Amino acid sequence: MSRRDDEIREEIHAHLALAIADRMARGATRAEAERAARAEFGNVTHVAEVTREVGRGVWLERLGQDLRYGWRALRRTPAFTTVAVATLALAIGANSAVFTVVNSVLLAPLPFRDPGRLYAASYLPTGLPFELPPGLDDRLYLEYRAHVSRFEQVAGYQRQALTLSGAGDATRLAGALASSTFFDVLGVQPALGRAFTAAEDQPGNERVVILSDGLWRTRFNGDRGILGATITLDGVPRTVVGVMPRGFTFPAASQVWTPLAVRLDAGNSFIFPVVGRLRAGATPEQAKSELAAIARAMPQDPRAAGFHPTAAIIPLKDTLTSHVRTSLLVLAGAVAFVLLIACANVANLLLIRAATRRHEMAVRVALGASRGRIARQLLTESVLIALIGGALGILVAFAGVRALLAMAPAGRIPRIGEVQMNGWVLLFTLAVSVITGILFGVVPARSGARREPHEALGQGMRLVGGPHHRLRSIFVTGEIALALILLTGAGLMIKSFLIMRSLDIGYDASRVVTMAVDLPSIAYPDAARIQAFHTTMLERLSRIPGASAVGAVSFRPMGDVGIMGDFQVEGPSPLPHGYNVDKPTVSPGYFGALGIRILAGRDFTAADRAGAPGVVVVSETVAKQIWPNASAVGRRISMQEHPGPNDWLTVIGVVNDVVQDAALSRHSTLYLPYLQTTSPFFLNHMTFVVRPAPGASVATAMRAALRDVDPAVPAQALQTMDQSMMETIAEPVFQMRLLATFAFLALLLAALGTYGVLAYDVSGRTREIGLRMALGATPGIVLRMVLGRTAVLALLGAALGVAGSLTLTSVLTMSLFEVKPTDPITLVAVTVVLMLAALVAGYLPAQRAAGVRALTTLLLHE
Amino acid sequence: MPTNSHGLSRIELLQGTLDLIILQTLRWGPRHGYGIAQMIRASSQDVLQVDTGSLYPALHRLERQGWIAADWSTSENKQRVRIYTLTAKGRKQLERERSQWEQLSRAIGAILTPAATQPESES
Repeated sequence: MSRRDDEIREEIHAHLALAIADRMARGATRAEAERAARAEFGNVTHVAEVTREVGRGVWLERLGQDLRYGWRALRRTPAFTTVAVATLALAIGANSAVFTVVNSVLLAPLPFRDPGRLYAASYLPTGLPFELPPGLDDRLYLEYRAHVSRFEQVAGYQRQALTLSGAGDATRLAGALASSTFFDVLGVQPALGRAFTAAEDQPGNERVVILSDGLWRTRFNGDRGILGATITLDGVPRTVVGVMPRGFTFPAASQVWTPLAVRLDAGNSFIFPVVGRLRAGATPEQAKSELAAIARAMPQDPRAAGFHPTAAIIPLKDTLTSHVRTSLLVLAGAVAFVLLIACANVANLLLIRAATRRHEMAVRVALGASRGRIARQLLTESVLIALIGGALGILVAFAGVRALLAMAPAGRIPRIGEVQMNGWVLLFTLAVSVITGILFGVVPARSGARREPHEALGQGMRLVGGPHHRLRSIFVTGEIALALILLTGAGLMIKSFLIMRSLDIGYDASRVVTMAVDLPSIAYPDAARIQAFHTTMLERLSRIPGASAVGAVSFRPMGDVGIMGDFQVEGPSPLPHGYNVDKPTVSPGYFGALGIRILAGRDFTAADRAGAPGVVVVSETVAKQIWPNASAVGRRISMQEHPGPNDWLTVIGVVNDVVQDAALSRHSTLYLPYLQTTSPFFLNHMTFVVRPAPGASVATAMRAALRDVDPAVPAQALQTMDQSMMETIAEPVFQMRLLATFAFLALLLAALGTYGVLAYDVSGRTREIGLRMALGATPGIVLRMVLGRTAVLALLGAALGVAGSLTLTSVLTMSLFEVKPTDPITLVAVTVVLMLAALVAGYLPAQRAAGVRALTTLLLHE
Repeated sequence: MPTNSHGLSRIELLQGTLDLIILQTLRWGPRHGYGIAQMIRASSQDVLQVDTGSLYPALHRLERQGWIAADWSTSENKQRVRIYTLTAKGRKQLERERSQWEQLSRAIGAILTPAATQPESES
């Protein structure tokens, strides 16, 4: 028994004692008095119990009452409930869908053991014209691996693409080179077999491979006997030593891992990512100082003088997701705006509904319900609406996530395979629903509870004018402003996209079909054999019926690969130190096939071969920068650091610059003939291009030609240049589509909101309008009156929205191409679109108002 | 002799109304539960008889809301009793509830005796 129980008992006892004393004072006997007092009091236990109930569970009980009451109220107004719930389901669902992606990609820990201790180590030059992904060069990696103490272990890895042959059709696989420490560092061990041994880190011992669960199941039928078996990758037989557990595909959807055996090359250094597991008690700062110290203790490469490398220790997760972080957060922000607009809409609906419920509220107040209680009741109702909306929103989110994944550019969003709806998403949806319910419910609840009873009771059921007139206008203005901000964002992205698409990329190749091949070094060990393959391929391709021009290039525009380098000019050179150009290797006919124009001189021919004088074609910018006042043709340059007499190449032609990569800027380029290129490195990746005659289709024939020449080599990137272009700009296009979707939703909601408020206004002012008509106003005047009010609301909203856009759209800077975030044309265009939408939304109510007949309304209301 | 008039003329009180009556009763000074019940009965000429099963929960509820305060003390005949006092907050609440009640009863009165009222004017 608690103290409170005792007190209640004592209080009841005192009541009875006083009652008995009273009765005895009035002359009753003790026995009579006791009987009468007890009879009057009633059941003591019951009274004690109901008194005790006060306070306990009352909150919950009231909530239950409020919910039941709210539910009944919602069912009484099915139209309102349906519109509100549908609006919220859409908006909350969209938020949950975007959150699902944000959560899985940016927030969820990496699926490794204790992932918070995994860091990438990087020591790279800064201030380069391009950005290098974090990594160490091979020499530093070896030194670091031997001496690091702040990390338990470090591992090097490098993405690679490999051709699997001999097990079904030859296929290209995503894979990775991985040091023996790789799996230990990540804390993931093979489900079957073993990881790499330290001995397999040594060159010459690396003919082993570990498979992903997916590859093992799809290509090898999940056969456990695969351990010890040999598979052929890039023509090299390798022994399968392990299979990774399901779901492990790090880095970047890898399906095979081969040992990273570091072979130092005197002339070059290779940079690859290095990941380490921080020792317990060590900080990233300490690891950074240690890395810098180890790097500075190494002998300096004189060629690296002038570059200033910086040590960095970066959380592994950040290195994977940093490039999508901004755009995902922008999307999350955009979709939150949609929710805010939905909130404003529902709040307005609630205000309108509150006006029709004034009578009900007044009666409740008069019957003793406190204002707080009524406000709580109304708030419970709105949270209930939001929760129902949220529950349906989860269904919307399911569909939304699927649509997002389908729209997402393949391979561009990291961790996309991990995207899934989970408990966090449900929790997020619940929290967003409750917050949403409070957000849109609080103003209507406060003003709903503020009504004085006499007002409503006195006025009976009649609706006059519109209460909350000002509030509703504020909400509409606010949502128009938000919609304008989203429209501006989408407009900027669309404009940027249009500029990209209409960009003069330097070639005319929308229908040109490409096909890339990688020649494995086992079957094609030297330049002669690779060149023979290329020559045969070109010859076979040119015989395809419908092929009007063919060519080959070592790395095509809009591809994933690029090779840049410097060169020497004979005589005085105006070029700055470190002037880099693209250096693709091409076949004769390549320029013609792709539509690159020859501005001076000639194309390569079959005669530009080994043994013949060395030749080169330069692009326009190179020619202009080196020989501004004279013809480039006939001048000489060299690819060698210290050219000997035979290292000079004569410029035989000048072609226009082309756009090479996703940055969409025109590159300065030197083209070398493939028959004079001697390093297999510049030859074994080749893209063949075929320009089809009008109406012809050549892709199938191209694949067949490759199969004829070498069935073990798979065709890659068999697509048109137009598709390549779309792939290159897939990320901004993805962002544009999503932003446009959200902006469209926002526009629709804002238009609906505007319509709702004006329609309600008009219905509330029927009488006034009727009176005006009776006094001689024409339908035209009434129409203008309502549209005028629409225009005022829309203009106010647009002004706010423009101000908001100017402050907010700078977050898009990184995604925009040659468009400023404050682009005035876009701002004007979206403002016009928004004004039009608002006027359309206002037109229906305006027309209804204009149709009011003077006599009817006056009669109706008297 | 007091007549036992309940049954016929006993009116079931609405929750809010009971609160109002309790607050009003306490306006005349602190009182214990039994005293409140007696006073309501007396001042309504025996028409309103408060059920203890409603009175005590109401007292405890009003106490929770801070409209009344309770303290133990000893009555004239040495009985330890719980005395309820109207708080400043309760006084304000009483004013509000009373004016609402008056409006309501005027409104209901107007409905029941329509001849007595003027057709209201529209603003």
